[in-house]
Amino acid sequence: MLVSDIKSRPLYSRLRFDPAGQRHLVISDAVRPLGDVIDGVEDTQAPIAFWTVVGRDDIDSAPNPHPLPTNGAPIETRAFRAASHLFDRLDHRLAQESVGLRLYVMGEEGFIWDVMRRSRAAGLEADECRSMHAGSLSRRVFCVHCKTMNERVTLSIAACTGCGAQMVVRDHFSKRLAAFMGVKADAEVAGELPPIEELFP
Amino acid sequence: MSGGVSMRVAHVEQLSPLLRAFTFEPADGGLVHPVGPGAHLRLLLRGTSKLYKNAYSITSNPDDRSHLKIIVRRVPASRGGSAFMHENVNVGDMIETDVPANLFPVVRTARRHLMVSGGIGVTPFLSYAAAFEATGMPWELHHFCRPDEVGVFAALLSGLPAANIHIHAGPSFGALEARLTRQPLGTHFYTCGPQPMMELVLEMARALGWPASKLHHESFGGEAHGGAPFTAVLNRSNMEIEVGAEETLLDALEAAGVDAPCLCRGGACGQCMIEVAEGTPEHRDHFLDAAEHASNRYIMTCVSRSKTPRLVLEL
Repeated sequence: MLVSDIKSRPLYSRLRFDPAGQRHLVISDAVRPLGDVIDGVEDTQAPIAFWTVVGRDDIDSAPNPHPLPTNGAPIETRAFRAASHLFDRLDHRLAQESVGLRLYVMGEEGFIWDVMRRSRAAGLEADECRSMHAGSLSRRVFCVHCKTMNERVTLSIAACTGCGAQMVVRDHFSKRLAAFMGVKADAEVAGELPPIEELFP
Repeated sequence: MSGGVSMRVAHVEQLSPLLRAFTFEPADGGLVHPVGPGAHLRLLLRGTSKLYKNAYSITSNPDDRSHLKIIVRRVPASRGGSAFMHENVNVGDMIETDVPANLFPVVRTARRHLMVSGGIGVTPFLSYAAAFEATGMPWELHHFCRPDEVGVFAALLSGLPAANIHIHAGPSFGALEARLTRQPLGTHFYTCGPQPMMELVLEMARALGWPASKLHHESFGGEAHGGAPFTAVLNRSNMEIEVGAEETLLDALEAAGVDAPCLCRGGACGQCMIEVAEGTPEHRDHFLDAAEHASNRYIMTCVSRSKTPRLVLEL
């Protein structure tokens, strides 16, 4: 039941530059070479910005020219000490941007949809954004009872950090909340739980 | 279903030798049907020898339900509907219409709207602009027309903020191209006008990185060019109808008295779809997708024709 073909479950595929883009913004939630994140760098003429979350406090987030030789596309890299730091910069950038931008995101699922939610709020449509899952399969789970977000859930049943309910982690994904839905597992008979498995390592 | 709404012609205004505006009020008093910006009204006009079913964009403010207004351009080589409207329809006449429908709605999630019109294609944008003004939504209109018609369209648009309106005399698209490169991310693009102009500006936008989700166009008429004559064989009605080089299949069906379904008459809405039993259609519509076209199982009678001398229809 947990691994279902539910339609809200996001699908991901390997990232590739959209040749129609006039400017490209590539975002990764961990340090990775640009060529590992996305294909087609060598065919791209339009300017590329490559932003990564480093997760260290000694980071200078000023833009730097990218060392990779390419056939002409200017590449600018930026490192951010944390995801929230990157999100602030992203909101600022999108508010200045014009139609013609393409956005690409690689990372864990919660990170991808945090970026997507911000891009939709700034006016980007689904066909201007591409995403690819990488890293842990752990899920951000929204408790439908108390509305607490539970980060990094790896088990099929998890206790909500807000209200303590034992939640079944459903495959039902909300793009608006950037989270999976968690529903009380023992609502019928208190304490009667199915076996707990590690489903999202 | 067609017809069913009776309207009285309340006002007629000749805007130019070719443009005539008509204001309709409900025949029984009361309010007109609610319409959104971009909606159209189809009129059922009973000419001496023929029933015309012509759809026109509603130009009046969608918030004002006291009346509906349309503007009709007299087309020289028309199917007759526009000439009928110019010559035979006067104040006080009763006209049968359909309930208004909308094939060109505004995108409600957009934050800004950029409109590009050519000639009489400005009509849906009159209702768009009224709706945007009512809600304080940012908008910009680029209108292209012949140099001798600039005054007519300037007068038509004079009730709207002049700073939002750019009238271009003749097909010179450089200024538009510059505007397309710097529109905020939440902008949507709409175009209505002659087919070649729409294709040109849509291609210009695509080349500047505009995604398909932000490009919208209206395609009334203009697609139905002639072609080789053929015979339409109606399986169910047991009729054979000759379709001439200069008429559409739909026109020929209507002329023969067949009550064929239709709405936009421009290959866009899908209402006129008929199943093909034998023969190969020459598809000219925008409704069916490539696989459906290749299957040759259906035809849009308003614009599409036949590659084979005979085309057998389940009609």
